Amino acid sequence: MLEIKNLHASVDGKEILRGINLTVNAGEVHAIMGPNGAGKSTLSNVLAGRDGYEITQGEVIYKGENLLDLEAEERAQRGVFLAFQYPVEIPGVSNIYLLKAALNAVRQYQGLDDLDAIDFLTLVRSKMELVKMDESFLHRSVNEGFSGGEKKRNEILQMALLEPSLAILDETDSGLDIDALKIVSDGVNSLRSKDRSVVMITHYQRLLDYIVPDFVHVLSAGRIVKSGDKELAKELEKTGYSWVNETAEGQPA
Amino acid sequence: MKQLTELATPFASVADSTPLIGQQLPWLQSLREQATEQFKHNGLPAKKQEDWKYTSLWGLSQQAFTHTANQATVTTKQSDQLALLQDAYRVVIVDGVFSEELSTLADLPQGLTIDPLSTSIDSVEQLLGQQVDIAKPGLTALNTMLMNEGAVVSIASGVKLDKPVELLVINSGSTDNLAIHLRNIVSLAENSQATVIEHYVSMGDAGSFTNVVTEVVLAEHAELDHYKLQQESANAFHIATLAATQAESSQWRTNNISLGAKFARNDIQSRLMGEQAHTVMDGLYLVNGEQHIDNHTRIDHLVPNTTSEEVYKGVLDDNSHAVFNGKVIVHKDAQKTDANQSNRNLLLSRGCEIDTKPEMEIYADDVKCGHGSTVGQLDEEQLFFLRTRGLDAVSARSLLTYAFAVEVLERIPSEIIRQAFSVVIEQRLPRPSVAA
Repeated sequence: MLEIKNLHASVDGKEILRGINLTVNAGEVHAIMGPNGAGKSTLSNVLAGRDGYEITQGEVIYKGENLLDLEAEERAQRGVFLAFQYPVEIPGVSNIYLLKAALNAVRQYQGLDDLDAIDFLTLVRSKMELVKMDESFLHRSVNEGFSGGEKKRNEILQMALLEPSLAILDETDSGLDIDALKIVSDGVNSLRSKDRSVVMITHYQRLLDYIVPDFVHVLSAGRIVKSGDKELAKELEKTGYSWVNETAEGQPA
Repeated sequence: MKQLTELATPFASVADSTPLIGQQLPWLQSLREQATEQFKHNGLPAKKQEDWKYTSLWGLSQQAFTHTANQATVTTKQSDQLALLQDAYRVVIVDGVFSEELSTLADLPQGLTIDPLSTSIDSVEQLLGQQVDIAKPGLTALNTMLMNEGAVVSIASGVKLDKPVELLVINSGSTDNLAIHLRNIVSLAENSQATVIEHYVSMGDAGSFTNVVTEVVLAEHAELDHYKLQQESANAFHIATLAATQAESSQWRTNNISLGAKFARNDIQSRLMGEQAHTVMDGLYLVNGEQHIDNHTRIDHLVPNTTSEEVYKGVLDDNSHAVFNGKVIVHKDAQKTDANQSNRNLLLSRGCEIDTKPEMEIYADDVKCGHGSTVGQLDEEQLFFLRTRGLDAVSARSLLTYAFAVEVLERIPSEIIRQAFSVVIEQRLPRPSVAA
């Protein structure tokens, strides 16, 4: 599904990612953990295609294509989805309009016709149940006046509707109380399948109690310094990230 | 270079050659004489006058206009297509002349009267000229000299209109560079409620000059939703003055949507004269090409406990130029005034220019007032978000531009009118279509 090879990326001449190697197979859930400033958000932004990052070395192969050659929207149309750490408010654009426009864009790429109004609404309603959102959210402006939890649920709703092959969840647990965390996690878990891969980026282990990963990687100073299974996350919870920083600094640049 | 007073003379001589309404009325004759004196004295406003600093009437003064319209044929079908609303009491003026045939005034409900100014001029002495000052720099004096048509709308005490009144002013394009001078009067008696739309449109792209003054009077507890939609041709000059007086507990919501014309200027004023009176003064301007739009607004809080809200937004593209000057004046006795004003601008090109100046003059000490203006470009984060959802960059930009503009409609209470305006805005700023 996704193969990241020796990925180096800089912002304003400062190298943030310093040789990432990661393979994610179909159906796998990978958690990427690490201290602040390790490059976690940079990695998710580079994968989703945000401007402002210079790729200095390496490549990212997604379903056989070089992902880094594609525009953000081309990646989305091919099934890459980024759930934002800070979901964006868009006054004047209703949620239902956004959902239709997004679904149409993906379906058009797939050579499918737009859904008619009834099929679309039926589909959206079924997805809204997953994240326990009521229909009033459809007619409100995207994320405007939403609580932190509602914004994150809205991200998962978009993901559920678009059915991506690769979902990148950037700090999806941040700012969530325990009830909202559970709803969001249930939503993500219900979307797990053998054809869909998930890359979860998180600072805290807490999320991994709810969305149990197949693999856990520790990112530090722009590199993956340790990989393991879910037990690694528990170890991190106990020991913190201080040992990680030492390890990273001990390595030759 | 010629003096501006001299440039005004072509207009000044029109009065001698054009048959004007109400010539038999001594009060009107005297008003027109005063206006003529003023106009000859002041001439066209010049850039050295603060209110005209960013807007020059040089272009207008260089254009020869005619005040005599050729025969025009506008069909009912065309008029229906041009109108904003199908279900409204419609008054239609074509090339400066009231059209009885296109107007739908046959079955007005009790308590609503709508008359063309040309036939009701002898009954408006108490109202005409009360809201505007012919001595001020601007074209009100010229309008007073030459006004020849308009709509006079009155709502009787306690009457609540079941549907809006749409004043549809059509320039048929049959006469090149036709100038029209309209005077509208809208008066609402106590406890009455109405929606009035002023709608200015052109057929074709002929040059034209519309000079309109609208005077509004709201008695106690009256409520008026007022809209002005300007969609004149790319060769049109449009100059409009709109002024209202509000008595106690009255509410005036006005929304000024300016899309057309090569050159447009609006002067809008509200005077809050009774406690608990409330003004909402919103506006939207969408300009591109070489368009110039200038909105000058003024809200006077004259007594205690009055409130006002004002949101103006603009979208500028190409080499267009917009001016916003919003003045809120809280007079000495107007304690407990609550006033808020904002002007937000979206610039889509390097060549466009905005001069924005929100102003508050506060002479009372116990008030709540805020104002601000912003000038910016599309939000990069919103653009990136939409692209991660599969929208291409062009679609994402047009969607965000549309969304920025359409937000001005949020405060419109009527769903039907909000919908009608969003369709009009979408024609100008198309957003990506989605399946129904």
